[in-house]
Parts: sequence; C-alpha cells; structure tokens
Amino acid sequence: MVATRHASALGAFALAAALLAGAIQVQAARERAYPAPPVDPAAEDAVYITSGSAVRRLSGAYTGLAADLYWIRAIQYYGGAKRRRDEQTLGPAPPPLLAAVETPEYTQLYTLLDITTSLDPLFDIAYRFGAVFLAESYPAGAGRIDLAVELLEKGIAARPDKWEYMQDIGFVYYWFAHDYRQAAAWFDKAAKVPGAPVWLGPLAATTLAQGGDRQSSRTMWEAIRQSEIDWVRQSAEQRLLQLRALDEMDVLQADLDRFAQLRGSPPGDWATVVGARVLPGVPVDPAGTAYELTPDGRLRLSQSSALFPLPAEPQRLGTQ
Amino acid sequence: MKSIAAIAVNVFRESVRDKVLYNLVLFAILMMGASYLLGQLTAGQDVKIVKDLGLSAISVFGLFIAVFIGIGLVSKEVERRSVYSLLPKPIHRYQLILGKYAGLTLTLVVNVLIMTLAFYAVLLYSAWGINPIVQSAWDAPALDPALLRAIVLILVELLLLTSVALFFSTFSTPMLSAALTFGIFLVGHFSTDLRNFGQVVDSPAAARVARGLYWVVPNLGQFDVKSQVVHGQPVPFGYMALTAGYAALYTAMLLTMAVFIFSRRDFK
Amino acid sequence: MSVALATHELTKDFSVGFWRKRPYRALDRLTLEVREGEVFGFLGPNGAGKTTTLKLLMQLVFPTGGRAEIFGRPLGDLAVKRRIGYLPENPYFYDHLTAEELLMYFGALFGYDAAERRRRAGHMLDQVGIGSERRLQLRKFSKGMVQRVGIAQALLNDPDLVIFDEPMSGLDPLGRRDVRALVLGLRDRGCTVVFSSHVLSDAEALCSRVAILARGRLVANGGLHEILAFEATGWEMVVAGIPASQVPSAAAGIRRVVPIGDGRYAFDLALDPPPERLLADLAASGARLVSLNPIRPTLEDLFVEQVTSPAAMAPRQGGS
Repeated sequence: MVATRHASALGAFALAAALLAGAIQVQAARERAYPAPPVDPAAEDAVYITSGSAVRRLSGAYTGLAADLYWIRAIQYYGGAKRRRDEQTLGPAPPPLLAAVETPEYTQLYTLLDITTSLDPLFDIAYRFGAVFLAESYPAGAGRIDLAVELLEKGIAARPDKWEYMQDIGFVYYWFAHDYRQAAAWFDKAAKVPGAPVWLGPLAATTLAQGGDRQSSRTMWEAIRQSEIDWVRQSAEQRLLQLRALDEMDVLQADLDRFAQLRGSPPGDWATVVGARVLPGVPVDPAGTAYELTPDGRLRLSQSSALFPLPAEPQRLGTQ
Repeated sequence: MKSIAAIAVNVFRESVRDKVLYNLVLFAILMMGASYLLGQLTAGQDVKIVKDLGLSAISVFGLFIAVFIGIGLVSKEVERRSVYSLLPKPIHRYQLILGKYAGLTLTLVVNVLIMTLAFYAVLLYSAWGINPIVQSAWDAPALDPALLRAIVLILVELLLLTSVALFFSTFSTPMLSAALTFGIFLVGHFSTDLRNFGQVVDSPAAARVARGLYWVVPNLGQFDVKSQVVHGQPVPFGYMALTAGYAALYTAMLLTMAVFIFSRRDFK
Repeated sequence: MSVALATHELTKDFSVGFWRKRPYRALDRLTLEVREGEVFGFLGPNGAGKTTTLKLLMQLVFPTGGRAEIFGRPLGDLAVKRRIGYLPENPYFYDHLTAEELLMYFGALFGYDAAERRRRAGHMLDQVGIGSERRLQLRKFSKGMVQRVGIAQALLNDPDLVIFDEPMSGLDPLGRRDVRALVLGLRDRGCTVVFSSHVLSDAEALCSRVAILARGRLVANGGLHEILAFEATGWEMVVAGIPASQVPSAAAGIRRVVPIGDGRYAFDLALDPPPERLLADLAASGARLVSLNPIRPTLEDLFVEQVTSPAAMAPRQGGS
C-alpha cells in the first residue's frame, strides 16, 4: 500500500540521517581527542613544481588555461600578502634596492609569475602587472626590482617587438630605483622598436635631463629634432632651449654667488648687480624673457617665460 | 553509399538518445558560470581567460565524446549481438565501419557546432559594456573569427582520435580501447619530447625507438593553435591545410586497418 | 527441382584456449542440399553445429574448409543477400530504436526509398501481430515481441530463401501457432524455408526434409518419410468398460497395459497376432472399443537413436 511505502521510505531516511549524525559526532570527538596539527600558512602556499617547463609539459595541450590558473593563483597570492604578514612577526621593512632581499610573504610570487609566463609566453598582463607587484615598494609589493626587470626581460625575449615592456622596465628604474640613466636607456630602446609611439624618444631625453645628465639629454634632443612631425620637432627645440637655459643659469648663478661672497650679502635686485658691473645688463633667457632674482640671491626663470617650467633636477642618486 | 548513410544516421540517433547531448548543457553552464566568476577574480583580462576556457572545454568535451562513443562503436554491436542481424543484410563489412565512423563524425560536428555558438554567446556577454578603448588594447577582439580556426583544428584532431578509438574497437574490449586511445592522446601530445629523447637519455637504442615512435604515433601537438589564436597571432591557411591533410591520411590509414580487421573476424 | 542452398564438405574449426590453442571442430565436412520451395529442418542437440552452419551461410563466420553456395552463387554475394532473410537465435536489435524505426533502418540497407520502407515496415509489423507497440522503444519489448520483430525484419525484403535459427524460442503457444502458419504460408508462396529447432513436433509438422546433426557431424539427412520407417511397429488399442478383475495382462501380443482410469485401459500390442482376436474377446466380456491406432516411430525416437549412436558419439576431430 502507498501508506506503508511512505512509512518505510521515511524510516529509511530517518535511519540514514541518524547514522550520519552519529558519524559527525564521532568525527568531532576524534578531532577533540586527537587534534590535527595547525596548518602552516606559509607552507600552504607552497608551489610544488617550480619548473615552468615541467608544468608546461604536464599541461599538455592546455597550457593557455593552465597559465590562466597560475595567474589567478598569483593574484590571489599577492592579495593574500597582508594576511600572511599579519600572521608573522616582522622586522623593519627593507629598502627597495637592486640587491636580492627576502620579503617573507612574497617568496613564491616570482615563481608563480615565472610559471605563468612559461606556460604562456605571450601573457601580456602577467608580465606587466606581475612586474608591478614585484617592483612595488615593500610592504605593498615584493620590493624586488631585480625580479621585476627579469620578468619583463623574459617578456621581451618572447616578444621582441613589445616596446611596452621596455618602457615598463624604464619606469621601474625611474620610479623605484631612481636610476635615471638606466631608465632613459630603456626608454630609448623602446623608442627604437618599429611602431613604438613617438613620445618615447622625448621621454628618454627628458629622463636623462632629470637625472642631471644634460649632455646626453641634449644629444638625444638633437636627434629628435630631426623628426618630420611638427610638434615633435618644436618640442625638441623647446627642450634644447631649456637645457641651454639651465647651462646659462649655472654660469650666472656662479657669478652671483661670487659677488654675494665678496659683498657679504646676496644682492637684492638686478639694479645692484648691474650697478656693480657683475653683469652687463639684466640677463635674458634663450626665449627672450628676463631672468628673475630672488631676495636671497637665487636666479630663477620667470614664470612668464616660454620656457617655464624647466625640467626638475632631483638629487643625483644612483647615476654616475 | 546509401547504406553508409543509413548506418551513420543510426549512430547519430543512438548518441542523441543516449543523452550525449546533455553534455552540451553542462558545457554551457560551465562556460557561463566560469566567465562570470572569472570576471570577479582577475585583473580585467576576462576575455583571454574566457577564450582559453572555452577552447579547452570544447577540446575536452569533444575528446570524451570521441573516445567514449568511439570505443563502443563496434564492440557494442558485437557484444550485444546486433551485428548478427546487421551483417546478413546486403552490405559489405567495410560499409559498416565507414558508416559508424561517419555517424560519430556527424555527432561530433553537431556537438562542436553547438558548443561554438554557446562559446560566442558567452564571449559576447563577457565583452558587453567594456570600454572600446580598453577592448582595442586586447591582443585580439572578443568575437574574433580566428577562434574558428582553432576550433576547426580541434575538430580535425577529434576526428583523428575517433578513428583511433574505432580501430581499437574492432578487436578489443571497451575498457582496453579507452585506455589505449587515451594513451595515444597523451603520447601524441608529447611527441616533440619523443623526438628529442636522444638529448635526454644516453642509450642510442632508446633514442632510436623514441624517434621511430615519434614518426608513427600521431603528432597531436600540431592541432593546438589555441595560444596563437587567443593572442591574435595569425594561423596561416597553408598550415591548416597541411595539418588537415596529415589528419586525413592518418585517419584513412586507421580506417583501412579497422576494415581489414573487421572483415576477417568470426562472430561466434 | 533446383537447388536453393548447397554445402560441400563445409568445415569450421575454432581455436579455443588461451595459451595453447587447441582446435575445436564445430562443423565436420557437412555436405547437404536444400531444394527450392521446400521447408528444411536442421535438428540436433546443443553444440551440434546448427547455429554454426547457419552463421557460415550468412558469412558471420568464415569456413575453415569446404564451400557452400546459395542460389548457385558463392557465399557473400550481395545480389543473393538481397533475396535472403535471416533470423538469428535470441536476437537483439537496438534498444533505443522503436520497432518501426528498426524496420525502416533495415529497409534503408536494402536500398528502398522512404515511402517503400514505411510501407514494408508497416505491413510486416501487421503480419507478425505488433500493433501500436511498434512506436515503443525496443528496450520495452518482451522476449516474445522481440522475436516477432525478428521475424518481421527477416521477411522485410520478400525473400526467396528464409533462414530461421530457433524461430519458436520465446513465443507462447499462440505465437508458435502463428509462426507455423507463417512458415506454411511462405512455402505456399514458393519461398524456401530453412530453420533449426529443438522442437521436434514443429519439424514433424512443417518440414519436408530434415538434417540431424550431432557433435558437428551430419548423422541423418533426407525426407521425413525416408528417415522414418513408415511401417507400424505395433498397435495402440484403447478399450473401456472392462471390470478390473477381467483385465488380461499376459495374453499373446500384449506388450503393456496402462490403466487410464474409469475402467479404461490402453493396450500396447505387437503387430502379430492381429488385434482383432483380443478385441473380440474383450467385447464378448462387455468392453467397448474407444480407439485403435498403429504405432509408428516418431522423430523423437529417431532423434534419440541417431544422436546417441556410436557414430555420433565419436569424439570430434580437430584440425585435420
């Protein structure tokens, strides 16, 4: 009868539920009596097969998909750094130098990115974002400029026409290492790739100037001035005038300093300077606008000058 | 010819009624779910991952259909003894083999076609509403017609593997056929390693064996252009023609052997 | 009278055993003929070689020695196959097809166009008594219904020669009666029918000629009237109304007396002396004659005698 069948079905379900509940209870009791050892979070993120070519072989025909999976893993690893950091006691943050420094919660980051890019050598964002994760100053990133550069160089080896990667390397040197010479060198390399945007040359030149290497910068701008594109040529001419202004200002400033020393106090205005025959007249910048003299004797470019603002020249850190 | 067609239609009908097409539903769900989730997980390159996933899924699902139906094509007829009423009909034994192959080919083509449509639908959804400037920075557009080249080569590979499965089906049990066919699939994808075996191993005899195997076992790596297509690199028509030609010849060889074996079998 | 089917020294050896293959002779130099228009019976115990013979004729199995012809052509001729219908033993078709679809499928293999296929399929299903079930998938069919479908597919092409392997198996008495009628109908149409069977009464009722096989050898072959001695070997007399005390048990010629009950007795009498004498004696005591029939040997008697004969019981030769 239907009723009996329902009753026996219910009975069977009830029995099964009771048995499962019993099993759960037993498991809970076992875990209380014999607790499992705590999981080491650092070990949890272990990458078992670190060789990119080995993983590639194992992925068979599905390397693209495997690359995606490792990429996701890399992102998750990067995002989990804060969690890992909180679980460890750390010393002071190491400065971002080119030397290889251990940043504990990022130890696997390069390995994961290396595997990703070995599986798919054309994986654009793995190189670019990966380099950012690696280069970013600790603790936001691994602080490993050397690895970032290595990753991007791997990308260039796979695709020599990728000027973006060369530009990225330049940027890493520029921003994180303040190595303007290297940065400019890479921007220049990028500029030479066929199809690269025209502003990379100017970028290299400007970077050199910012590093204080005016001569190399001037040479680069002279080359860029040969361009057929009007605004590029005009921009180069402008830059060359600015460099000339910088040179002139150095000379003028030296004169003014000597005068201040003799006088015992800096000159307050141009009238004093011209009156003392330090200079024949008020000096004019290459664009024709008069320089200004601050009350404490510093020469500066007028804000109304066509050459304003001059390229800033930070302290020479890391350049020759 | 009409007999081959009739047998082919019967194979197709059987696979449909065996609910093989349900795997398409699974495929569609997998693709849609994964593409949605991946949008949450990754840094803005959704389309690459959707393409990788879609192409890989078409390949894997197709592989399973090719193998699991292929291994039973002949052995099921023999084991269930339906061959006793089929062979006395005015047909040649080779027509049975060719008909079975054509039927599974038809099944695969239909499956891949439907999966391709679902795939493009998911790509459309993934790229919907994304800024065109961002899209122009991608290696290849979302609804890239070049994807079809990769899918065509996947299909060609599947048709070759089907003939492998059918060949084994003419003389061995389904279990063994499945193992052997999957084995050939794996070795076929390692074929470049076989070729370079001599550089890895000291024994020249082993290297020669490996080299011989390299030429004999179907080289399956050549059908994998997924990476090129996803990254917008061209797949020349000449390449596709040569690979398809290789597959056609290899398949013809296997079908010839299958016909030979099947023609001599006693059905006790 | 032309020959529909002929075998000459047809032999089949199978290799059995996994390591050392021993040949097993399933059929030993079978030579016989089947004439057009007759109903021919293949009889014999299990393992006699009946099914093997039929499979050899259908080219499901290939001969080790000897040859055979159907309609004068060697085995496997496609034009001949078009004129043959075959029903295998315990047939299995395709679970996923309906009865109608199966016949349409086979019709396509004969080269009929769609309309012709439909007509023939419908007609044959009517003939074998399958009505609306024809739209059900074969997996839902009982054994008897599958057998009917099997017969239908064997007759689909209006064959001139029909070969049935155990056509009665799985059928209830109604079904068997239908098949018998069918076979007779085929014969009346001029079709040649060959069937193998365990059911000797069917053979007795239908066949004009039979072959008896045992252990792969032909032990009897010919028309029933040739094989079976037509002379009577005795009489069976049934008499009623004899009081128990007056039953003669040991009169001359009485081989056996079997009480049937209610005063009836069956007498197994020898040919000599003629039964009239005994009948007269019994009648005089008030008995009534119910029936008087000559006893003739049945096919079953012959069968058992032949099959257990020393010639038949000799071991199979292997691989000579």
